[in-house]
Amino acid sequence: MSQFQFYVAKKAGWFLVAFVIALALNFYLPRMIPGNPVDAIVSQMAAGGADAASMEAIYETYIQEFGLDKPLLLQFFAYVGNVFQGDLGTSFALYPADVRGLIADALPWTIALQLPAILVGWILGNALGAIAAYKGGWFDRGGFIASLFLSSMPYYAFAILLLYLVAVRWDLLPAAGGYSFGTEPSFSWSFITDAADHYWLPFLSLVLIFVGGQAIGMRSMAIYELSSDYVEFSRGVGISDSRIVRYIFRNAMLPQVTGLALSIGSLVGGALITEVVFSYPGIGSLLFGAIRQNDYPVIQGITLLIMATVLAANFLVDIAYGFIDPRIRAAQTGT
Amino acid sequence: MSTVFPSAAPDAALDPDAKSSILGRLHRLATQFSPRFWFALALTLAVLFFGFVGPYLTGVEDPDQIVGGLYMDPSADAWLGTDNFGQDVFTQLIYGTRTSLIIGIIAGLVATFIGVVIGISAGFYGGIVEEALMGVTNVVITIPSIVVLILLSIAIDSRSIFAIAIIIGITSWPWTARAVRAQASSVRTREHVDLARLTGANTFSLMVFEVLPYMLSYIVMAFVLQLTSSILQEAALSMLGLGPSDSISLGVMLFWALLWESIRTGAWWAFVPPAIFLTLIAFALLLLQSSLDEVFNPRLRES
Amino acid sequence: MQVRDVRAYYETRHGPPIRAVDGVTLDLEHGEILGIVGESGCGKSTLAAVLSASGPPNLQIASGHLTLDDRETVDLARSGGTPREWRGNVVSLLPQRALNSLNPTARIGDYAYDVVRAHNEKMRKREALELAGGRMEQLGLPSRVLDHYPHQLSGGMRQRVVTVIATLLNPTVLIADEPTSALDVSSQKALILMLDKMMEEGMISRIIFITHDLALLSNIANRVAVMYAGEIVEVGTTREVVRRPEHPYSKALIGSTLEPDPEQRGQVIYGLEGSSPDMRNPPPGCRFHPRCPYVMDVCTHEVPPRMDPEHNYATCWWVKKEAEQGHETGGVNRVTDERIAAAP
Repeated sequence: MSQFQFYVAKKAGWFLVAFVIALALNFYLPRMIPGNPVDAIVSQMAAGGADAASMEAIYETYIQEFGLDKPLLLQFFAYVGNVFQGDLGTSFALYPADVRGLIADALPWTIALQLPAILVGWILGNALGAIAAYKGGWFDRGGFIASLFLSSMPYYAFAILLLYLVAVRWDLLPAAGGYSFGTEPSFSWSFITDAADHYWLPFLSLVLIFVGGQAIGMRSMAIYELSSDYVEFSRGVGISDSRIVRYIFRNAMLPQVTGLALSIGSLVGGALITEVVFSYPGIGSLLFGAIRQNDYPVIQGITLLIMATVLAANFLVDIAYGFIDPRIRAAQTGT
Repeated sequence: MSTVFPSAAPDAALDPDAKSSILGRLHRLATQFSPRFWFALALTLAVLFFGFVGPYLTGVEDPDQIVGGLYMDPSADAWLGTDNFGQDVFTQLIYGTRTSLIIGIIAGLVATFIGVVIGISAGFYGGIVEEALMGVTNVVITIPSIVVLILLSIAIDSRSIFAIAIIIGITSWPWTARAVRAQASSVRTREHVDLARLTGANTFSLMVFEVLPYMLSYIVMAFVLQLTSSILQEAALSMLGLGPSDSISLGVMLFWALLWESIRTGAWWAFVPPAIFLTLIAFALLLLQSSLDEVFNPRLRES
Repeated sequence: MQVRDVRAYYETRHGPPIRAVDGVTLDLEHGEILGIVGESGCGKSTLAAVLSASGPPNLQIASGHLTLDDRETVDLARSGGTPREWRGNVVSLLPQRALNSLNPTARIGDYAYDVVRAHNEKMRKREALELAGGRMEQLGLPSRVLDHYPHQLSGGMRQRVVTVIATLLNPTVLIADEPTSALDVSSQKALILMLDKMMEEGMISRIIFITHDLALLSNIANRVAVMYAGEIVEVGTTREVVRRPEHPYSKALIGSTLEPDPEQRGQVIYGLEGSSPDMRNPPPGCRFHPRCPYVMDVCTHEVPPRMDPEHNYATCWWVKKEAEQGHETGGVNRVTDERIAAAP
């Protein structure tokens, strides 16, 4: 088995372990709520004015879902079984809507926000960082301070400031929602432009902070590479500067790829709150509402989704790294 | 010969005749560290002062006191206006900073402690112990802490300041563990450790007296990082509605501001100050952490 | 090859620049190996960096001229060191730490192709690999190293691979900056043999060998230059410099090397007091005067002149003094001889 295959297998093993632990956490923690959660929830709903029939139905569904009469381990297996069949349970607050449906409605908005932010942010951030390291001078110094500030600012703080300045004070872009209040989502041109208007601020607040973080990291790596021995030797044998820059970029990229995995984790977390700030109809707002209403199935569904996605993203990034770094790809075990 | 080179002014610090007056010595101390360090330190101290001394200076005991109508503009009575409950925003800011700092410090201490214990053990023992501990660390790092925090916050029955700090602490230690382990690994191979072992020191005293002292600088820097991330984590948790249920913190202020449409009504004083403060704290601490390097490593200093 | 009046300095953030190389003049004939020896910080690596244009960004070249065979003289200050077209195929660098001198993420063969391609755009990859492979075999390395990444080779092998790549294009002069310092003895020998072979086969025609290992130089160098505080204080044939050094610093340097040679018995072995000067503010006059056992008054404020031709001189006031008195070149030796004779 080649070194690379061994690498993939090892990583896959670790991620499986992490996923099982994530599942266990997701299953067990909400069950730590003292008392019978169903009673508490149902009494809350009574206070909120729900009628007797739907309360009864929720009670039954929930006893079934939690399976509170069965031993814990069986409950866990039932839960895992459900998850793999795609059944994430039924919402409390929005009964009888099922969790999967609610998430499916909100997910596209979130993906549309986060995926481009990650891609654009990574490419742009690394490019800027490399250029700053290479050029130096005022471009480097000014950019460095800006990036330092941006990268230490939490996503939501920037979102709030952007929201206030651009949407409220200067009234350039809409302040909330994924689309104008009252309009129906459709594939018409007017809807798309409307949605685009609402897209800019949340997108920018994610992308700019991400760019700042990547740029700083890349700049440090590039500066470090610039002073390495192979740069010295390459210059000494006459290799052109542009080719040397290519070497530097390639070598500095490697640790950046590793860092990407962790940056994704923090972006996903930050994006949740950014959505809340902008009342953007994605997973974050769904989560916010669910927390306020103690809608545990929805909360659990979302946390599971986030954990699975971040783990999967980490796994893919690790594989990509093993592929790019020739030191891992090339060697055969036993050489 | 010297016409070829730029003119060389004699370096005043090397001049043996320079008076070693108090002012002179202060000046030398001041220039030894970079302006970045002094700036970061000043900012951090200012924030600490605001958060811990502020409450006594305002003379107000209860930040939740209603002082006026809802979302009133800033005025001479209420420097930053009132929030959605009619409470004084400026007072809330002071107490909120204090809460955020307290949670951050406690969580930071917990996380640093756990991380140091795990890191030193892994680095010191090596072998299977190291593999196992680092395996656990890697798994904990990859599972995004915000979701674990959400789940934990729901599970605990009382969301006091202390409880929140604890759960933040127990989910954010992996970074410190990694950094500490790397350093401990290298310190373990130094001669003084072997020497101590030969004189019969047991493992515990080896770790505490031989390895630990060389890692103090790393531990301090790790603590600053943990502090920063803990403060921000608490704010994130609070903004989702899972913050401390009995106190006001910067994150909680933002939560209420978001929930009560302060943005749309233009009541900037309800949400901009806490957001700026959070940014300021994060920026100051991160800047401090990056310049602490030169405090601990005299070779990096300017002169 | 002629190197004239090279001056280079490192800019510092505060204060005066560090004058690492302050007026170096050298000659090198076809087929010669010139050794440059000196203690750490004397500027020899900076000289190598200047000649191969591979220094860090804060290295500035204030003056210097380089002439090779019948090529046009290069003004080193204006072009920031040796121009790129020369580097690798006329003047090439063999660096000290070969362990990291190869791009860690490129195969050796690909990197060799890049080196060739930088000077000969038309050469195709296959030809370049054949050329590189042939060279490797010729110099005792298996050609399959071309398929490997640097981390797959041992340290000694990497140094030799770097040597082959540095000389792939048959440069006229090879600047070897402490190539053996990081190697064990057998690797050192292998490297020296490789360099010898290269000279024999005509792949390179001159070597500047920078080192602090005097014993090594006495075995391989034709001429030796002693460097101190950014200047060449003495240069001459190996035999002359080792047997009868004329400059007090060279004397101390050579005297500190222990030789199991019966002829050396009875000679005084002494060390030097003090340490090398601060290159931001070198001492006036002769730079060595604060540590010189034979210091005269003139040494403290006047720079000693270079009396003799570029390939054989010593910059010491004693040389001038002896010349004025009509004695043969012998510099300070006369004084030491007298002192030895006068000792009880």
